[in-house]
Amino acid sequence: MSDAPGRAGIRGWARDLVLGVRFAVTGGRRGWTRTALTSFGVGLGVALLLVAAAIPHAVENREGRKGDRTVNTANSEKLSAGSFLFAQANTSFRGDMITGTVFRPTGNGRTDLPPGLAALPGPGEMAVSPALADLLASSDGALLKERLPYRVTAGIGEHGLAGPGELLYYAGSGTLTRASADGEADGFGQYAAGNPIAGVLLLIVVIAFVALLLPVAVFIGTAVRFGGDQRDRRLAALRLVGTDRAMTSRIAAGEALCGALLGLVVGAGLFVLARRFAGEVILWDVTVYPFDLVPSPMLSLLILIAVPVAAIAVSLFAMRGVSVEPLGLVRNSAPHPRKLWWRLLLPLVGFVLLLTAATATTLVGSETIQIALGATLMLVGVTALLPWLVETVVARLDGGPVAWQLAVRRLQLTSGTASRAVSGIVVAAAGAIALQMLFGSVQGDYTFTTGVDTSRAQLQMKTDTRDGSAASELVTSYQRTTGVDRAIGLTEGLIERPGPKRGEEKGHPFSRITVADCPSLRMLVKLSSCKDGDAFIVDEPAHLRTFAYVPRPGEQVKLVRTDETGKPGANAAVWRLPATAREVKSIVSPVGEMTAGVLVTPSAIDAAQLPRPMARIMVKLDPGVKDAAEHVRNTAARLDPLTSVTSLESTETDKQFASIRSGLFAGAAATMALIAASLLVSTLEQLHERKRLLSILVAFGTRRSTLSWSVLWQTAIPIALGLALAVVGGVGLGLTLLMMTGTAVADWWVFLPITGVGAALILLVTLISMPPLWRLMRPDGLRSE
Amino acid sequence: MSTQDTTLTGSLLSAHELRKSFGPTPALDGASFSIRPGEVVAIMGPSGSGKSTLLHCLAGIVPPDSGTITYSGRHLTALSDAERSALRRNDFGFVFQFGQLVPELSCVENVALPLRLAGIKRKDAHRAAQKWLERLEVSDVGHKRPGEVSGGQGQRVAVARALVGSPRVVFADEPTGALDSYNGERVMQLLTDAARESQAAVVLVTHEARVAAYSDREIVVRDGQVRDAAVAV
Repeated sequence: MSDAPGRAGIRGWARDLVLGVRFAVTGGRRGWTRTALTSFGVGLGVALLLVAAAIPHAVENREGRKGDRTVNTANSEKLSAGSFLFAQANTSFRGDMITGTVFRPTGNGRTDLPPGLAALPGPGEMAVSPALADLLASSDGALLKERLPYRVTAGIGEHGLAGPGELLYYAGSGTLTRASADGEADGFGQYAAGNPIAGVLLLIVVIAFVALLLPVAVFIGTAVRFGGDQRDRRLAALRLVGTDRAMTSRIAAGEALCGALLGLVVGAGLFVLARRFAGEVILWDVTVYPFDLVPSPMLSLLILIAVPVAAIAVSLFAMRGVSVEPLGLVRNSAPHPRKLWWRLLLPLVGFVLLLTAATATTLVGSETIQIALGATLMLVGVTALLPWLVETVVARLDGGPVAWQLAVRRLQLTSGTASRAVSGIVVAAAGAIALQMLFGSVQGDYTFTTGVDTSRAQLQMKTDTRDGSAASELVTSYQRTTGVDRAIGLTEGLIERPGPKRGEEKGHPFSRITVADCPSLRMLVKLSSCKDGDAFIVDEPAHLRTFAYVPRPGEQVKLVRTDETGKPGANAAVWRLPATAREVKSIVSPVGEMTAGVLVTPSAIDAAQLPRPMARIMVKLDPGVKDAAEHVRNTAARLDPLTSVTSLESTETDKQFASIRSGLFAGAAATMALIAASLLVSTLEQLHERKRLLSILVAFGTRRSTLSWSVLWQTAIPIALGLALAVVGGVGLGLTLLMMTGTAVADWWVFLPITGVGAALILLVTLISMPPLWRLMRPDGLRSE
Repeated sequence: MSTQDTTLTGSLLSAHELRKSFGPTPALDGASFSIRPGEVVAIMGPSGSGKSTLLHCLAGIVPPDSGTITYSGRHLTALSDAERSALRRNDFGFVFQFGQLVPELSCVENVALPLRLAGIKRKDAHRAAQKWLERLEVSDVGHKRPGEVSGGQGQRVAVARALVGSPRVVFADEPTGALDSYNGERVMQLLTDAARESQAAVVLVTHEARVAAYSDREIVVRDGQVRDAAVAV
């Protein structure tokens, strides 16, 4: 059969591999089941890898379409005949962001259109994305409809949307003016240079990819060995007819190759299927169009080659520990103690690679490969150390009740299977611990305390008003809105020193004037007494002054428009600051700001004289009213559709950091689901292989609980050891990464939740495998006819 | 002696009119059986005749569809699953053709297993197991795992395990089916000698006349019915 025992040329290899492939597909129902199981397992992993390979393209396309629809303001100096005014009118509804732009054509030519739109909506009309159309049509949408009082006349095509779940609208206005608009333009397509991703964030992305994809690779390695025991028995029959050990190994590799090749097909199929439904899935506010999910050709080729090659390599490696002998006897080779040195070498090399990479702050492209390799080696080291650890520890275990003894003895005999089953979760947990440490330590750099006191206000509205008298009407409107506990209203304008510029002054010195009633002013400054008609000057230390100019009591000032300071304002009214104005100290406002300039109560000034001041309303919501914030947003939109409404938060997170964190959670969810599936399949497969033995044990009176506990211990022991190793490995990698970023550990106990999730996953899988176990424990499993 | 004649008072285990089907296929079709304490009865018959099913029913492993099984005056069919398990653990012993030893336990641990399951301390259980291994001439393989011993040695270990708990009935299903003639005969000799010494009844399923010759009595199962019975030797 073989040219020479143990040696085979390419033809010999090919012949044996093909023979293995034939066995895989002609092995009857059992053979097919095994092949199907392997193909499905590999397929799941391949599908996930293909999704990962499609992410760069998907991100690029999303950002490209966002850029295509951005109003291009580059030509604002020399506009064409198709010019238009535009204003952003974004809002949010129950936490979902709704992006909106209001247009008003100003030129007499044909207006350029944003992608996905056949015509700009006319005044009072609106074009909406399909997701927003669905939301508006739903019962929940009634509240939102109130805020977007336009007639829906068109839909926005997918080429104008980042994703299928995006809530976007374009509205037409007949009243938008240059003063109220954000600007004037004549076209679309503006691409931000894109902030280069910060070194530390890039490090997180690289480690996240490694930590999420490595378990997938481990899973594929496990899947190609599904049903190994049964296969070994079949191979024993081949030894009887003259195959040598090397040929047997190659035939086994051929069987695995078949599973891997079919797995590629299944994976491609699953990917196509998943791609079809991709539009329906929302992960942390991100939706993706199926046509965006196109795997990178290079990465696809890599998957296409690496999976079958890995299947062959893993099989050959596994067969080293099994001596298949003729006469149907299969014995595990006399157990060689696993060697520790090379298992330790992997993480050590990884550690050195990471340490010799540049510090994370100066990370460049080529160094990311070194870092990825270093992190991979450290995490692979964890999986490589696991079998050694399990073997070493279980070899020392003895005694205990029957269930414990059965489990321990089983592990002593074949600890490799158990280690393989849990290695995926161990590597995922180690990676997650390292990432959490990194996240925990650097999130302070990416999360900012806004200073907002959310117990005093939760929403802030800003709107331009015709004059200062409008603010009090606004406050009344908000105060009457459902769900508003208290509204504070401020009218903010500018005051300027009258007369010509002096000396080296570049512009006219100006300051802010805030008009509000006494209760509202008390939110901004410390007042010993206050009555209508009073005026105040905020006393700031000279070196910390917000405004260079602060008028003195009794001094005359000019009331100017916000956008016209320094310009000779013909209509600028002159007002005299009351001589009774007192100096007061600023306190932190509900929005976390210090106040500066002049503060006056309504009777101290004729507010109608203030030219186009800004009204600022801060609202405290009644927590007992559902959708209180939405009612306030509706009021804001009714009063002025261009009102800026801000949800006040005590902390804000950097957008890049937040999106990476979201992506990591999405990836972790997919990986965890895969690992759970892998564990379940592996546990069930082991149980099926022991069906007859389980039946015999039950036949001679073994309690079902004894066997159930034995299965639990069998999983729990390697898992406990695996998670302990994951903690050590994860914390080790985390510390290395922190050394690179030059940050200190923020929380040493960050591994606890991840370890808990890992343990819970195992418990869940064990619980799910109990019913099949009980079915297999029926003594009628003894029947073979 | 007819089948009905064997259902005598003084029988340890008896079955009457057992019926059992697996799907549309009847395995037992009104089979009756009885065995006295210390008696060795061989159940013979061709493949698929229902002899293993009869053994499984008698041992309380598989419940019959109808009919009664009485053990020591107790109706086996009326017992709960837990009670039947306890009975198998405490009163019965089993020897099968193959795949019966727990591969991860050593031979002595395999033999000690029924005692451990019955709550006997590990040390005492191992001591008793070692004695039985000596008695069955395999004391030298006690520390080895089943995968490391020959088929004949493994089957003797299985016999030791069946007898270690001093059962009142040993059920042996083709116990020599995977052995060569020398080992087969040796195992049968040891099994029947040890059973007789312990006053244990043996229900022996076999299709080999050579093996059946070790029994006190032979019955034949054909098409799910006990067709014939004869006193051997």
